[in-house]
Amino acid sequence: MTTTVEDCGAVDHAVAVTVSDEQLWQICAEFLAHGLARGEHVVYLDDGTADRVLERMTDDGVEVAAPLREGRFALVPGERHRSPREVAEAVRAAVDAGLAAGFPAVRLTGRLTSMVGDGAHALTAYDRAVEDVVRARPAHVLCVYDRARCPDELVETIRGAHRTEVVAPAIYDDGLLRITSLGPGAARVAGEVDHSNRPRIRSFLESALDRALRLPDAPTDIALDLSSLRFLDVAGAVGLVHAAEEFPDHHRLVLTGVRPRVQRVLDRCGAPFATQLEVRTRTDQPPVEQPPATRIRIHADPDQARPDEPQHTDAQPEDAAPSEQASA
Amino acid sequence: MRIETTRSTNAVRLEHAAGFHGSSGHLLDQLVPLATQALQRDEPVATALQPATEQALDERLDGAGGRLVRLHPPEGGPAGASAQTVAARWALELRALGVSKGRPVTVLSEHAPALDGADGRFWTELDAALNVALADLPVRITCFYPELPLHLEILDGARRNHPLLLDEGELRHNPAHHDPRAVLTERPAAQPPLLGPPDERLTFSAWQLHEVRTTVERALAGHGYERERVEDIVLAVNELATNAVEHGAPEARMSLWTGRHGLLCEIDDGGTLRDPLPGLQAPHPAEPRGRGVWIARQLCDSLHVWSDGAGTHVRVHATP
Repeated sequence: MTTTVEDCGAVDHAVAVTVSDEQLWQICAEFLAHGLARGEHVVYLDDGTADRVLERMTDDGVEVAAPLREGRFALVPGERHRSPREVAEAVRAAVDAGLAAGFPAVRLTGRLTSMVGDGAHALTAYDRAVEDVVRARPAHVLCVYDRARCPDELVETIRGAHRTEVVAPAIYDDGLLRITSLGPGAARVAGEVDHSNRPRIRSFLESALDRALRLPDAPTDIALDLSSLRFLDVAGAVGLVHAAEEFPDHHRLVLTGVRPRVQRVLDRCGAPFATQLEVRTRTDQPPVEQPPATRIRIHADPDQARPDEPQHTDAQPEDAAPSEQASA
Repeated sequence: MRIETTRSTNAVRLEHAAGFHGSSGHLLDQLVPLATQALQRDEPVATALQPATEQALDERLDGAGGRLVRLHPPEGGPAGASAQTVAARWALELRALGVSKGRPVTVLSEHAPALDGADGRFWTELDAALNVALADLPVRITCFYPELPLHLEILDGARRNHPLLLDEGELRHNPAHHDPRAVLTERPAAQPPLLGPPDERLTFSAWQLHEVRTTVERALAGHGYERERVEDIVLAVNELATNAVEHGAPEARMSLWTGRHGLLCEIDDGGTLRDPLPGLQAPHPAEPRGRGVWIARQLCDSLHVWSDGAGTHVRVHATP
């Protein structure tokens, strides 16, 4: 029996079946960030997507450079292990190594791509092996499968083999652009906006504004978190500027975490002259540039932090890493 | 609407005149008074003259020649000569010169035979493009042409493009003047020289624009482009590619040439070109379309749009 949860932090051995790369990066980043905040040893089985997962964690305001350097966070090449049994062995070894190094728990995730070809039987054997690891140890394992690569029956088998399935619902996800809700009048826009999906932003803004006008207590700011928006085309930028200008007088469109690339397009499309549009730039640097002690802040003003962001509600930044840290 | 615009509300708008000369002496006799009068009014003077003319004018101005501002000279470059690119660049330079000083700018330009190409059409396109690109600027520009150029097209184009004619030092209304888009519909912008087989070719639809962006980004890698420059060039090409699949055929084609000249990129689609001179004027703030090509022109070293029986084509050149 599989239960469905949206909070990927509180799981022991769970599965996620992702429909897009953006979703994969989001789920893995949130799962790993949860472990870092709790001082766990955190492992990502890298199938070539680690850079994007790290980028997403940075977008989320999670410091990754220091944990990687200090061995609290490890990237383990995933494709090196061929058979499900070998991968299960690697998982067991990684968990045991982390525990032996004194970490209170070990957290591991990654997309299991190469094993899909081995069929349902092999995957079931793998999941049973992982289940044994998790049951006897303080470990959290999230198995991620790519929906597009798994036939329907296989997805059913995979789901049946896990007690918990992590889902991350989106307002819209076409593989290029992913829009997720952050509460009333707020959404996160990740990926790329171009001619193929531009109207989706517009329709979100229209419905958010509509709700804001109908509900008496609704916030007057419509907020879009653009931390993970990697590309915005000219018509998309013009659309945001026009949308803000057409808002009623007391409502504003607030864009947060805006990357320099997106900022330049907005500037060229008249954003600085739109009085009902507020653009908050992102001030952090790429992950590798971060000195160890600083925490990356997306928002310059702490009072303006994003509301209803699940991965922040249960984070415990005061939990330090274990004192007897060992190098991984 | 409170959106940025580069349209100005100057009292003086474009005054575009043609002058003709039978000899270099005749040319100088007309240039000197125009330059002197503007300098006496303490107005900026910009020039795009042949080097010999430039030098002779400087000597005749008795030291005041140092106050002349030289516009970027029209040139070929690896993408081929593009008159619309020259007009867009002059518009930028003159906007900076005139608007910042709050005064009308006098411009003196001269025909350069090196850019005639096969039939002299470059000059027809340049004057038409100047009519569009400088329309709202406080600019008095006089373009000088020889009375007997090699190509008759040059005189034809000059007569059709200039609202004013300089005759014995007086400006006269030109009854043969036509709207720039009408001129170019009859005499379309020239096709630039062929570039040979591309290094990369991609056919794309409206749902594959991300592939266009990835391909351009990959082509620029390792050629000395800064991160920000790469992002801007990718944006420029994305806008042109978007136009191709939005207005043109369902599918369009991109070709890339890389090398020490910088990136050359061509986008071809099967659609018809409605505006022969797109992106030369800042789009109206309320107008949601048309801003893409305008921005792409600012970001690329050259951007040339032309059309033929096969459809519409855009070629851009972008250096690091």
